[in-house]
Amino acid sequence: MNTTGFEHGEIHGIRVHVMPTTRFKTFAISLYLGVPLAEDTVTPTALIPFILRRGNETYPETTQFREALEDMYGAGFGLDVYKKGDYQLVQLRMDTINDAFVSSNEPLLSRSLGFLGETLTRPALEEGAFRQKYVQAERENVRKRLESIIDDKIRYAAERCIQEMCKDEPYRLSPLGRLDALDDLERGGLYEWYRQWLSTCSFDLYVVGDTTLDEVIGLVERHFHLERGDALTYTPAAAKPASAEVRQVVERMEVSQGKLNMGLRNPIMYGDDRYAAALVANGVLGGFPHSKLFMNVREKESLAYYVGSRFDPYKGITTIQSGIELQNFQKALDIIREQLALLQAGEISESEIAQTKALLRNDLLESRDSAYQMIGYDFNGRFAGKERSIDELLEQVEAVTADEIQAAAQLLELDTIYFLTGEKEA
Amino acid sequence: MESIHYERLQETLYHEKLDNGLEVYVLPKEGFQKTYAIFATRYGSVDNHFQVEGGEEIQVPDGIAHFLEHKMFEEPDGVDVFSKFSAKGASANAFTSFEQTVYLFSATEQIEDNLDTLLNYVQNPYFTEENVEKEKGIIGQEIQMYSDNPDWRVYYGLIEAMYQKHPVRIDIAGTIESISAITKDTLYTCYNTFYHPSNMMVFVVGGVDAAEVIEQVRRNQDAKGIAPQGRIGRYFEEEPVAVGEPWHEVKLPVSQPKFLMGFKEKEVGLDGEALQRHTLTTKLMLDLLLGNSTALYQKLYDEDLISDDFGYDYSATPHYAYSMIGGDTKDPELLVKRLKEEIGAIVEKGFTQEAFDRAVGKRIGSYLRSLNSPESIAHEFMRYRFKNSDFFAVLGMYEALTLDDVNRYLRAHIDWEQLAVSVVVSP
Repeated sequence: MNTTGFEHGEIHGIRVHVMPTTRFKTFAISLYLGVPLAEDTVTPTALIPFILRRGNETYPETTQFREALEDMYGAGFGLDVYKKGDYQLVQLRMDTINDAFVSSNEPLLSRSLGFLGETLTRPALEEGAFRQKYVQAERENVRKRLESIIDDKIRYAAERCIQEMCKDEPYRLSPLGRLDALDDLERGGLYEWYRQWLSTCSFDLYVVGDTTLDEVIGLVERHFHLERGDALTYTPAAAKPASAEVRQVVERMEVSQGKLNMGLRNPIMYGDDRYAAALVANGVLGGFPHSKLFMNVREKESLAYYVGSRFDPYKGITTIQSGIELQNFQKALDIIREQLALLQAGEISESEIAQTKALLRNDLLESRDSAYQMIGYDFNGRFAGKERSIDELLEQVEAVTADEIQAAAQLLELDTIYFLTGEKEA
Repeated sequence: MESIHYERLQETLYHEKLDNGLEVYVLPKEGFQKTYAIFATRYGSVDNHFQVEGGEEIQVPDGIAHFLEHKMFEEPDGVDVFSKFSAKGASANAFTSFEQTVYLFSATEQIEDNLDTLLNYVQNPYFTEENVEKEKGIIGQEIQMYSDNPDWRVYYGLIEAMYQKHPVRIDIAGTIESISAITKDTLYTCYNTFYHPSNMMVFVVGGVDAAEVIEQVRRNQDAKGIAPQGRIGRYFEEEPVAVGEPWHEVKLPVSQPKFLMGFKEKEVGLDGEALQRHTLTTKLMLDLLLGNSTALYQKLYDEDLISDDFGYDYSATPHYAYSMIGGDTKDPELLVKRLKEEIGAIVEKGFTQEAFDRAVGKRIGSYLRSLNSPESIAHEFMRYRFKNSDFFAVLGMYEALTLDDVNRYLRAHIDWEQLAVSVVVSP
């Protein structure tokens, strides 16, 4: 029985997941292609989707390719490269209007899957490999994307903190690859890696809209020209212990606001029975505007505009982030650590628990209004090897006790403190 | 209660104007779990000089609309507003823009309680000297966060470069100096002027019953017995036609320069449907000129002058209107030069019917897709309504546009005398 509203099938080693519904004015399509995050392959894998979106066999020129999308009532087309657990994921999305609202000759779902299938499996080629022009331009594009991370100091500080914390793990790598590896990528080797990547990655295809599993499987069979073995599953990451001593890293740059980021190890992963308790614990600590961090660092002490915590159950890491006055580093750090200690000591009020549960419940219920959020939720379960419906998780969150929250919080171990500060001593 | 049915969109909107002047709109969305509600006032960062009919003329410190938004979350009973919403499973927030301040929540349950909380806290100001001082630290950090953000700086830099007098050139949050002059009394003055129900609207979208929601808001408002208020006069210094500075530069550490340019409209003053049509036509014209499927976009991308973040937008109100075009580039001067050459040639030729049809289709598709999102419906509806126009009329307007309209707008808008450029470069 399916528990998330998706019907599941398989074709060409692709797991196909379909939610038939008339609730949306669109068809939402999402493809996830995952390979283990690794030093050697992270850069070519990151580059591939950028080359693919330049053109396919029918529309080899980029302007033709984009005009074809516009001809489908401006179908949304997006790609993303990111890391999740110990994997590097490439996600391709299409968002197309349901034909009922517009007039079109060929059904838009069929055209969309045809377009995606061809883009992924029949790229524009010259002399049996990717077009040189596209490889060159997209290498520059990825280079600029990597270099521009520094422009957004909030994001930069978050990534630097993870880099420092995971310096001996593949997770230190950026999902966009390594700057020093870009120049070595040439079109022949890239094309070879692309063929290998396509036949060996874990591959999930999702559709939400007014259709059926049979229809989608038929369209995938017709439009995705692939030779693959059985569908591969994902292996969940193993939790890592914190370093013996808390590491402190200070970096200087010309900034007017300091960014204080902290990385903590959290052994409770998505598949763990204590997952709901860890979710509530993070909510009490820093997930919401009623949380300990927001109430104390911001509302009580006026030290920050933004402060909060995030829980990544696919990697087993919790992060804390805040923007503060340069000279308030120690003060903010002390208050954050004090709030964490209070949580771990079980200083958790009834109302903190009730409010956190109510907002987690709301987030879960709201996700049903978004096709992409429902897709993301189902994929997360598949990725973590744990099927847990929204209803089950709602019940588990509701049942979490104060003791369980405290027990989950006690497993949090501070590993790294990262501070981005000004050029001069504050 | 009146209802308006939009057959092609398969949507029905319900509306009532209450006795105290508050406009209430409800858009039921069958099958949706979430309800999204906004309580918005037609009051933003530009409204710094005003007068209520029969009252005195007042000038207030920069950043006060945004400061007021922060302070609305303070209640006399000492219970934090966020906690009130959280306890009822609602996720709450607020934001301030040039023209409006918006309070909102989204929730899947206990909608009636949450709607009451929203209506009540926004209509219950509680400012003390102490809580006003405390907020200066928090907003100070918000200002510093933005001042380190090169995307924000290049955006604001362009508006500052274009506008010499109009308060749109003032940063929404003000400056650390300007907010230091804010007191509880100035906050009350602004509150009492702009938070009168006759200057506000409620919009609720989601899995709700329209009649029940409107009845609840009516009861809530009737019980408060708010006295009527006269018209609000808003004063804006006369804005010269010319841009203030043709080239505006800020230094911040960036991987490559951030670049934005825009054309300041010479003529403003449109309102309502005419303003809406003008805005949609100009946006469509920009799609045809610079969209990522155009030859020009591809040429500049191939020349390594633009990246995926290259984009454009158009904003228009009765008092100011401008386009914004740009993104990261290695060479802002060269990019301007190339844009001048290429756009000049396109202005002479105009666009083709084929490209026009495709662009209209794309706009319609993206408009229809936006109707999947309650947030986007609520925000867009409000923005249009405050400009006396109708978000749900957009589909018909796009269909009625012609190639001639767009070619005419192209020639009118591209006036290099009206160009301003803003860049952020590394020190």
